[in-house]
Amino acid sequence: MALKNQISKEDFLAVFRDEPINTLLGTNGDNGNGLNFTTIDFPNKTEEEWRHTSINKILQHRFGLGKTVSLDKKTVDLFTIPGLDAYRLVFINGYYNPDLSDEIEKAGKLLVKSSAKVKKEHPEIFNKYYKSTDLGSENFFTTLNTAYATNGSFIYLPDNAVLDKPVHIINFSDGQDSKTISQYRNVFYAGKNSKAQIVNSFHSLTVNYTLTNVATEIIVDENAFLNFNIFQGEGDDAFQMNHTKVFQHRNSNFSSHTITLCGAIVRNDIHIKHLDEGCETNLNGLYLPDREQHFDNHIFVHHAKPHGTSNQIYKGIIDNKASAVFLGKVLVDRDAQKTLAAQSNRNVLLTKYAKVNSKPQLEIYADDVACSHGSTTGQIDKEALFYLQSRGIDRRNAETLLLSAFLSDVIENIQVEPLKILVKLLINKRLKGEKVEGQCSMIEACHGCDPID
Amino acid sequence: MGKTLLKIENLNATIEGKSILKGINLEIKEGEVHAIMGPNGSGKSTLASVLAGREIFEVTDGHVEFMGKDLLSMAPEERSREGVFLAFQYPIEIPGVSITNFMKAAVSQHREHKGLEPLSPSEFLKLMKEKKELVEIEAKLANRAVNEGFSGGEKKKNEVFQMAMLEPKLAILDETDSGLDIDALRIVANGVNKLKNSENATLVITHYQRLLDYIVPDVVHVLYDGKIVKTGGKELALELEEKGYDWIKKEVQV
Ligand SMILES: Nc1ncnc2c1ncn2[C@@H]1O[C@H](COP(=O)(O)OP(=O)(O)OP(=O)(O)O)[C@@H](O)[C@H]1O
Ligand SMILES: [Mg+2]
Repeated sequence: MALKNQISKEDFLAVFRDEPINTLLGTNGDNGNGLNFTTIDFPNKTEEEWRHTSINKILQHRFGLGKTVSLDKKTVDLFTIPGLDAYRLVFINGYYNPDLSDEIEKAGKLLVKSSAKVKKEHPEIFNKYYKSTDLGSENFFTTLNTAYATNGSFIYLPDNAVLDKPVHIINFSDGQDSKTISQYRNVFYAGKNSKAQIVNSFHSLTVNYTLTNVATEIIVDENAFLNFNIFQGEGDDAFQMNHTKVFQHRNSNFSSHTITLCGAIVRNDIHIKHLDEGCETNLNGLYLPDREQHFDNHIFVHHAKPHGTSNQIYKGIIDNKASAVFLGKVLVDRDAQKTLAAQSNRNVLLTKYAKVNSKPQLEIYADDVACSHGSTTGQIDKEALFYLQSRGIDRRNAETLLLSAFLSDVIENIQVEPLKILVKLLINKRLKGEKVEGQCSMIEACHGCDPID
Repeated sequence: MGKTLLKIENLNATIEGKSILKGINLEIKEGEVHAIMGPNGSGKSTLASVLAGREIFEVTDGHVEFMGKDLLSMAPEERSREGVFLAFQYPIEIPGVSITNFMKAAVSQHREHKGLEPLSPSEFLKLMKEKKELVEIEAKLANRAVNEGFSGGEKKKNEVFQMAMLEPKLAILDETDSGLDIDALRIVANGVNKLKNSENATLVITHYQRLLDYIVPDVVHVLYDGKIVKTGGKELALELEEKGYDWIKKEVQV
């Protein structure tokens, strides 16, 4: 059923059928005819997974494929993380910008490149890992991504490879000329005993309606360590669907930090599967929706084998009429004995209009496990506020102190030190109601966050 | 005698419509120590909270002047910067905020209010060290979150430490002695005494004479059912210790 002002699925998809697309990743340029969109529909609120995520606002727009926009290094430098020495991959509206990127290709096949290039230059590697998780069929958006993603980042770490610097993937969206959809398909493979840190940041160049649809497939092989950071600072009219699927092999370690500071509707899905024994997963998130923004985090951790560990800590501060969702599910199979799993979601609502739906869930079929979950949602502690004020600290500063204390453990967990420092700075500015230029979002794209009150 | 610091006239306050303070009159001058005693629930902490600006209490009548200014119209933080300090009966825990950061923010806002230059980091640390020694607080306590996991005694010492950092004109100590062993009591009382001078004043709320052996009051008041029903010299405290409050209750009823 189409809601008011909502365009039809056919209209939404028309752009992909009508325009010739040369850089399609998934379908060898067959314009997606191989995928059957008649049986897969827009997500709707009757589905448990989408009950609290209204995408009606997204479906009011007819998005087109954007153009690649030329960017100078100076502009891109605005979005680098101060002090972060990294290999950079830069994309605009779904297109790769080789001039602003640092590709790596080393003997032994260590690769940091665009997905399209790897497809062309190393089809055997590309085909082995692309679509090797079952992410493609999760929902409408991942299917759309599989059919029509233009490009993305491909990181391939052979066995024992240790990246000397983090990889920083910068995705810009720019809807200046028309409402633009950008689709990225990322594939990361971390070979046995390898280690790497990846930061994927999202920014808008202008304030316009854009939709960024990201699908990331991650395979962490035996004993490998992969740390993945998602930093979302797109503009106030930017929508984002971001789906990450991780397959972990024996004794591997995967950690993530999802930092959502700006965007109109942002939905993050992170699905983890432990394919073998002894895997460890640490998922961290912080989100600060403001105005009428809506930020979602959906986690699914599937413990399929024994001796696995997983931790989730997600914290949010919700301002004005904004809303947030945390849906975290841990599934422990009958075989997954000795699983240790912990889930925690805590929220602070700054106004009476702010909303949060929080639902940590455990589904356990093994009997010898230690699992815990907890969720709290509240306001700023009035008594703590008074205590600080009674020592001469004004209300605004007192609130900032309390809220940054509330987020501090999740921020301290961030492993990429320069990112941690940046996030701390941005959040402190945000809590003080100071405008942040050229860092969080783009100068023009950022309306500046409303001061808390 | 010194100048009047605090002048409370006919102060009435309620919480959730319930009348708690029923016409308090009290005047404190520079250099004085006043003690307020009284049975549980008589309104001692309420008076302290109202003076510090706790919003949950509604002032329904009366007037409070602090150094010539209308205290009740000020926000809690302004009262603090003007020189009012309340050592809480039950200091709360503030997870994630270290004492150092807390005091840094407080001291810097106090200095700004007075038109003073901010302290340099090393000056600030020196000040912290000096004041910690005054109340014999362990150095490492300052890096911990405010009151989190502190023992009762540590919490009370921490209150007096904050008082030392901010050097108030009027310190209100709400049962700062409760739950302290005799050694801790001596330390806390000595700390308070060292901060005393001819230009500030102390209002101690207590149930026990033993504190008043160390912090010797000039005036003792008895608060009962929201009113000050008796005022005397330090010997009144001894009398209360000996005889309890029943005789006062009887006097009031007559
Ligand atoms: N937050 C509150 N909500 C409702 N009633 C309160 C609150 N705080 C205090 N009261 C009531 O106000 C009255 C006075 O309490 P208050 O704490 O001022 O007494 P007190 O003299 O300090 O007692 P104590 O010696 O036990 O510390 C009591 O009846 C108490 O129940
Ligand atoms: Mg009391």
